[in-house]
Amino acid sequence: MITNSIEVSNFTKKFGSFTAVDNISFNVEEGTIFAFLGPNGAGKSTTINTLCTIHDKTDGELRINGNDVTRQKDKVRNDIGIVFQESTLDGKLTVEENLKLHCDFYKVPKSEVKQRIDFVLELVDIVNWRKAPVNSLSGGMKRRAEIARGLVHFPKVLFLDEPTTGLDPQTRANVWDYIHKLQKQKNITIFLTTHYMEEAEICNKVAVIDHGKIVAHDTPYNLKKKFTSTTMKLKTSRQDSLQNYLDNSSIKYKPDNEQIVVYAPDVEKVLEIISCFKESIEDIEINKGTLNDVFIAITGKEIRE
Amino acid sequence: MIRPIKAIVLRNLIKLSRDKMRLFFTLFMSGLFLFIFSFVTRSAVAGLEHPMNYLISGIVIMTVFQTSLNNSMNILEDISNGFMKEILVAPVTRWQIAIGQVISSMIVAVFQGIIIVLLGLFMGLKIDLIHGVTMAFLMCLVGLTFSSLGLYLATVAKESTNFQLVITIVSFPLTFLSGAYIPTMAIPKILAPVIYLNPLTYTTSAFRYIALHMENVPVADLVKAGIAFNVNGFIIMPLMSTLLIIVMGIIFFTLCVNRFNKADFSRVKVFRHGHR
Repeated sequence: MITNSIEVSNFTKKFGSFTAVDNISFNVEEGTIFAFLGPNGAGKSTTINTLCTIHDKTDGELRINGNDVTRQKDKVRNDIGIVFQESTLDGKLTVEENLKLHCDFYKVPKSEVKQRIDFVLELVDIVNWRKAPVNSLSGGMKRRAEIARGLVHFPKVLFLDEPTTGLDPQTRANVWDYIHKLQKQKNITIFLTTHYMEEAEICNKVAVIDHGKIVAHDTPYNLKKKFTSTTMKLKTSRQDSLQNYLDNSSIKYKPDNEQIVVYAPDVEKVLEIISCFKESIEDIEINKGTLNDVFIAITGKEIRE
Repeated sequence: MIRPIKAIVLRNLIKLSRDKMRLFFTLFMSGLFLFIFSFVTRSAVAGLEHPMNYLISGIVIMTVFQTSLNNSMNILEDISNGFMKEILVAPVTRWQIAIGQVISSMIVAVFQGIIIVLLGLFMGLKIDLIHGVTMAFLMCLVGLTFSSLGLYLATVAKESTNFQLVITIVSFPLTFLSGAYIPTMAIPKILAPVIYLNPLTYTTSAFRYIALHMENVPVADLVKAGIAFNVNGFIIMPLMSTLLIIVMGIIFFTLCVNRFNKADFSRVKVFRHGHR
């Protein structure tokens, strides 16, 4: 049976007269990774902050593991871990002290504290920095410490608000390794927001949010299938007959210098074209549609960075 | 229930102990206060039976008062560097946070007060152990009361520059209309209501009552010395003063927890890491 870790229905959040989130609904299945994809100011953080009990909703219903986020705040808080966009570690304390403090807040049994801290530090690979004051760590290290802290009380649902913003590509990749490792080991549900398309690709489900509304919600594969085409750049000695062929089968294309850019609706068409022209093809480049294309197709604009 | 409070208290104390600069200034300022004020006000207390006890007790209470008020700034630091968010999403109630903050700020203030008392012993302060313990108890009371007030003001001010201003506005009149430095008898009659509404007045008088060994002094003399107060014929004795401080402490603490429960810290600007 499928259980939902997060259930949101008709959620609206207003700040004064500004509507940050406008009547959105979605569910996240237990043990999956769910991404909120959208430009800055689209309402991602507002949704996370409301789910994390920081903001109160204006309208709608939000539940985590069946508990209402406004009426059962304490139960919700016990179940969730959060890694915020900005650093919320205490810079003057060491990594270990920060984690211990967190364990005290979340009532981790005292006999388990040390063992759990060892476990999460191992997981994010900062065992050697446990005695270092947080302020002395690099941005990437801080981020890892932050993730470790979000996990040390073994949350059932983990919220990651732009977990890799401001990190170099290498560290970003590492952070993602941890997230996957974790999800496998603990079967936790992960809700993340991001404006990096590559990050959204690896999630089970993606919701595209813009101006406070969910404009698309599906698996990355389905989104790409639905909203993008495969682009194929062909260089052929029989340009004219290729163009004729494309016109006849009403496939969109665009001549580009000596090449022709073909927008193929599916894989069959790609293979068909290749097999028809295989003797004359001099060069070929095939690109699958990306979530960025999805985003552009849906919202009509590039994601703002 | 106690664990998160203990954790917050411990954390604040660890932080202070790491902050060498602040630690140094905490001690340095205490010493400075002691020396400067004992020189400046020496003439004012000439003729008293225990001039050093009179002076030092005033300085001790002022230090405890100032420190507890100022320590509430911690919470603003937590808000501005983001740590507050971590506390707010934790399964910890707001009153637990408030109690933790108040207790830690009280401990620091009392610690500072005790240092002055110790320094004072070298300068002619004469107290015995029982007096010392009673004084420590009163210091705790004062610390709790004004840490609560400070936390209340901090949650209202929400920004450290505002807070400094508010603290100055609050502490200046409270200090000088309390009898700690300037004897209450020397203050114009027109300001009498302010003196009687000032919690510091009672704090100072109760504290002096102990420090000056006035257990056997007749009531009329206590009133004359500014230790007991004659409010339109009603005499407020030092014990009554202590009760008044407790009541005010409870009021301030309730106010502060109440305010803390409602404050929306999420709207406070926080520092963002990374480059964007």
